[in-house]
Amino acid sequence: MTPIDDEILQAYVDGALDAADTARVDAALAQDDALACRVRQLRALDAQLRAAFDPVLDEPIPGRLSALLQPTAARATPFTVLEGGRDAGAVRRRATRRWLVPGAALAASVALLAAGLWWQADSSWVRTQDGRQFAAGALTRALDNQLASEPDAYASVAIGLSFRSKDGQVCRSFTVRTPPVRAGLACHTTAGWELPMLGPAVLSEGGELRQAASDLPPAVQAAIDARLSGEVFDAQQERAARAEGWR
Amino acid sequence: MHSSDAVREGLIELLPRLRRLARALAGQAADADDLVQVVLERALARSVQWRPDAALDKWVFAIARNAWRDELRARGREQHLFAPEEAGDTVADGSEARHAQQMELAQALATLPPDHREVVALVLVEGLSYDEAAVLLEVPVGTVTSRLARARATLQAHLGNDA
Repeated sequence: MTPIDDEILQAYVDGALDAADTARVDAALAQDDALACRVRQLRALDAQLRAAFDPVLDEPIPGRLSALLQPTAARATPFTVLEGGRDAGAVRRRATRRWLVPGAALAASVALLAAGLWWQADSSWVRTQDGRQFAAGALTRALDNQLASEPDAYASVAIGLSFRSKDGQVCRSFTVRTPPVRAGLACHTTAGWELPMLGPAVLSEGGELRQAASDLPPAVQAAIDARLSGEVFDAQQERAARAEGWR
Repeated sequence: MHSSDAVREGLIELLPRLRRLARALAGQAADADDLVQVVLERALARSVQWRPDAALDKWVFAIARNAWRDELRARGREQHLFAPEEAGDTVADGSEARHAQQMELAQALATLPPDHREVVALVLVEGLSYDEAAVLLEVPVGTVTSRLARARATLQAHLGNDA
């Protein structure tokens, strides 16, 4: 029989043991004061953490946070709500600057470097024109035709989000699934799909959370965040945008 | 219902728990609410990525954890998230002894490496199971339990718990 180590004791306190192991620890605790003392310490620590953080649940929600969750119709001017005499827009800008920009800038520069490295190796997806990078070949066809609402598990390009940028262009994120796997953002211009962001990526393996929360590399997400105004397209808007030729 | 409406309404309900998680991750109240704001904006912007068969709370917590990691990277690994003397912001109870105890806890938490701190926040504060935390953090369950055990040992050493 394995001895009762810290991880077993912890699982006991966390209620993560099965009935047989729980009974084994119960029996050991009845005979071993040192073990019982460690269980009390673990429980005391848990109680201290709950006492420190559970009160947050009952705190009033700051206005700048609840304002973000108003229905769209109710927030025609979403970031000018006053909160405590401060302009919530300023708070938001400050928050965005503090939380996003340095990381995004770093990630973007790393991604650009990486994109530059594999560029020469693969010219069939990309063409350059006047120093700007555009989609070519199969990537252009995927951006022109594929809908995220009708995913094709066998297509070599997967389309992510589509939205209208602050500049009025339709932009779409995508992942190229054939090695070297990479992800990027394409924005529709009169000269074709320009690629302001393209970098290496890791394919999700179908896990829900991966799919949902971290499908896009941070650099691509940052590129989206920098351009997004309003909301990303839903299935209907995406279809309508295709019908309009992504203009 | 439009998916962004479903996400928005889910976020309203989730907001108190999201703020608690953010406080456990970021420490200071103002930093935590800045983090919550980023998480809300990202979740709303990506609401089409959320599928109704996936639990919204885990999806949002994963966004929160990733946003917090982004911020840590941005600030540099050496720097702790908040100076211990600012820890008074986390105190909800006014009594002196309690204040002192929570200061101590905040300082102890600030010494944890991010890998350990996020496990404490997700499992001990938010109450996720080991399996749920492992999925969210994209690590094996054994990694979650070993980090949690080491985090607890660190906290107890700092707090000198003789309970």
